[in-house]
Amino acid sequence: MLERCIGERRLRQIQRGVRNMKLTFLCLLLTLLVLRGTIGAGKYGTPQQDFIELRQRFISHPHRALAEQNQPEPKPKKSDKDDEPPLRSLNDPYSLGPKISDWDSQRADWIRRHPERPNFLTKTKPRVLLVTGSSPKPCENPVGDHYLLKSIKNKIDYCRVHNIEIFYNMALLDAEMAGFWAKLPLIRALLLAHPEVEFLWWMDSDAMFTDMAFELPWERYAPYNLVMHGWDEMVYKDKNWIGLNTGSFLLRNCQWSLDLLDAWAPMGPKGPVRTEAGKILTKTLKDRPVFEADDQSAMVYLLVTQKEKWANKVYLESAYYLHGYWGILVDRYEEMIENYHPGLGDHRWPLVTHFVGCKPCGKFGDYPVERCLKQMDRAFNFGDNQILQMYGFTHKSLASRRVRRVRNETSNPLEVKDELGLLHPDFKAVQHHAS
Amino acid sequence: MGHEGVGFKSGSTRSGLPTTRSRVPRGRQIQKTFNNVKITVLCGFVTLLVLRGTIGVGNLTGSTLESEDQRVVEDIDRILREIRTDSEPEPQDPLSSLYFVNSTAHNWTYAEAVEAVNYSLGPKISDWDQQRQVWLSQNPNFPNQLLGKHRILLVTGSPPNPCDNAIGDHYLLKSTKNKIDYCRLHGIEIVYNMAHLDKELAGYWAKLPLIRKLMLSHPEIEWIWWMDSDAFFTDMAFELPLEKYKNHNLIIHGYPDLLFEQHSWIALNTGSFLFRNCQWSLDLLDAWAPMGPKGIVRELAGKILTANLKGRPAFEADDQSALIYLLTSQQDKWMSKVYVENSYYLHGFWAGLVDKYEEMIEQNHPGLGDERWPFVTHFVGCKPCGSYGDYPVERCLNSMERAFNFGDNQVLRLYGFAHKGLVSPKIKRVQDQTSDPLQVKEKLDMAARITM
Repeated sequence: MLERCIGERRLRQIQRGVRNMKLTFLCLLLTLLVLRGTIGAGKYGTPQQDFIELRQRFISHPHRALAEQNQPEPKPKKSDKDDEPPLRSLNDPYSLGPKISDWDSQRADWIRRHPERPNFLTKTKPRVLLVTGSSPKPCENPVGDHYLLKSIKNKIDYCRVHNIEIFYNMALLDAEMAGFWAKLPLIRALLLAHPEVEFLWWMDSDAMFTDMAFELPWERYAPYNLVMHGWDEMVYKDKNWIGLNTGSFLLRNCQWSLDLLDAWAPMGPKGPVRTEAGKILTKTLKDRPVFEADDQSAMVYLLVTQKEKWANKVYLESAYYLHGYWGILVDRYEEMIENYHPGLGDHRWPLVTHFVGCKPCGKFGDYPVERCLKQMDRAFNFGDNQILQMYGFTHKSLASRRVRRVRNETSNPLEVKDELGLLHPDFKAVQHHAS
Repeated sequence: MGHEGVGFKSGSTRSGLPTTRSRVPRGRQIQKTFNNVKITVLCGFVTLLVLRGTIGVGNLTGSTLESEDQRVVEDIDRILREIRTDSEPEPQDPLSSLYFVNSTAHNWTYAEAVEAVNYSLGPKISDWDQQRQVWLSQNPNFPNQLLGKHRILLVTGSPPNPCDNAIGDHYLLKSTKNKIDYCRLHGIEIVYNMAHLDKELAGYWAKLPLIRKLMLSHPEIEWIWWMDSDAFFTDMAFELPLEKYKNHNLIIHGYPDLLFEQHSWIALNTGSFLFRNCQWSLDLLDAWAPMGPKGIVRELAGKILTANLKGRPAFEADDQSALIYLLTSQQDKWMSKVYVENSYYLHGFWAGLVDKYEEMIEQNHPGLGDERWPFVTHFVGCKPCGSYGDYPVERCLNSMERAFNFGDNQVLRLYGFAHKGLVSPKIKRVQDQTSDPLQVKEKLDMAARITM
């Protein structure tokens, strides 16, 4: 019919034209598909997005549940951005707080007015506050919180036996001093709020007590205000950035310490200040890698550059492991049990085993995850055995969570003394005064 | 396509006489075939490209970061599995036949089972009060009172394995911090237990051998305070009114009418209670323990408890029901020394409390301990550590966060901070720093109203 209207030739031309168009469209479609496939078409999808979608649909990841439960906050994410403080410029000095110049006399007054909270528990034993902490958010690593829990139990045990109070911090007091610097504003706030505390003992959350019987030699520190594990030659001569360790240290509650904190803080504020400071530290200190300023390097730098001002009140302790690097200790625990006994605190039976670099709360530390976690279990059990022996138990092995009885129950429990004498040790005794 | 085109073209010459294939010259044929093959190859190539682009060998190029991430996650999963297999039950001991209810040899009754198992918490002690007195007099450096207050030991704990649900460990950590804070403010020592001291009294019964052991090891402790790991202190200023309990040995939260009239299985709560360190307490523990041993004893005891206590579902004997049953069936023997406390929340059931925190901050102040400002908020039934609780997970976790922050605000106040909101981990300064911090400290009142 159409033939008659247009003419046969015409018709064929049109048909040809139509077929060509069909072909063209098909080719165009294919080209588009291929392009989307290889380059991606933005919000219309890329192969990566497709893959992720497919994966999420078919594989249920256990950690996804954790990530979902991670958000108890109903507030939108935007508010987080508003809280970030503006980055401090290099010529805007940072201050931990209003300058205090008479802290020693303020504190002495307060102690005089409050004899019920003395700063010394006995003639030689000071009142000590152990300070540690972790983030208020759940760990990225699903097993990280479990190790934080074991670590705090370990500290609770040591401190109960040694009559030391604990402050577990989960608050970021100053957003500018985030990360390893967060301890500075915290320490200052605690010193000022607790005049009755004579020594503040900062301890990292990845450090564990492995000698429950070792009491710190307080008389040795009477002339000093800052006690850190380290070596004089490595700090003052070599200027080595690991010449001392700020993962476990003692700071006396006095004016000198407030001044030290003020002198220590300037390299801390996040941003260009910390980055520039990091460059200075890498240049000045031996073996320091390139990264932003950290509190430990800054302390070495401070002691080296202002030696006359601070060094006479700083004691670098190396007679026992106020901080003990885990790498050289954890494989020797069985040997220690064989040959030595608790109460030594040194290389024979370390006071503290510090898991530097393990970062159990995050996903990536400097060491393989498995080695870190297994060794943390061993260190925990090594210390826990000394607590359990008070009650007549011990772990089945250093790797096992299970315990077995080593001392039978008796109807005269008070005649039995625990081997290490930790149930009622001298260093826990209350000063006997007429009340 | 080309084929069509070729066909079409040749078709146009078909308008006249039909042309057969044999008439098409050889050269043309070869050309046609060649064209067809070209087109086939081209189409095949294009198809491959398209398939590669869409279905996803995106992983082949794959970012190294993601695969590393994946590897770490796999490592952790494997370690977790290893850790959990370490907690497999012990190899069976000879008496195990008694522990299985399906033992066909004999139809045990509860009394028979108890006698056969013959469980005991330890050798009988009858003169603990005298032993303790002698020890205290010989050890004046370890008195049972400090600054006029009797010494208290708070006991809590959790299993030694990582929680089935990772978020559970995070809340155990927060709960521990919460207890550390309260106990530091009130001069109380803490024992955090992670060891199974007695495999027969496992689970909720594990507190019995633990309490007994601690009492006998620490004669200088006057009160042992058991507190569940899912209970949070929400009143940091509240001090236990110990003078009220001069003549009592067991302080436990509950309701006398539910206990004596209704025999309800929730008349008392063993999630937070105090035991005086004395002979009476040792005797009560001995009388309480028999329903505990795992296996046939616990099963049969559970049936007795369900039959005798109002509202109790059918399950094995738990320590709470067993205590209620003991105290009601032997009322005359024990109740004179038991103080059933409900004038403040020594245990406060969370569901009725957590939504009112903002209201409490508005209208009341810390130090009250009761429904106006609960002393303890106890998350019964939430079980954040395990996989199955009795309440929706989201609600439990959200509420635990709120309770933690509600208590934490009262601690942070001492340093001039507060949480930004009851669900927020972030804090803000609520009091400016000063060069005279001790003047501020002198004026600080733990029981003053909280400003947020």
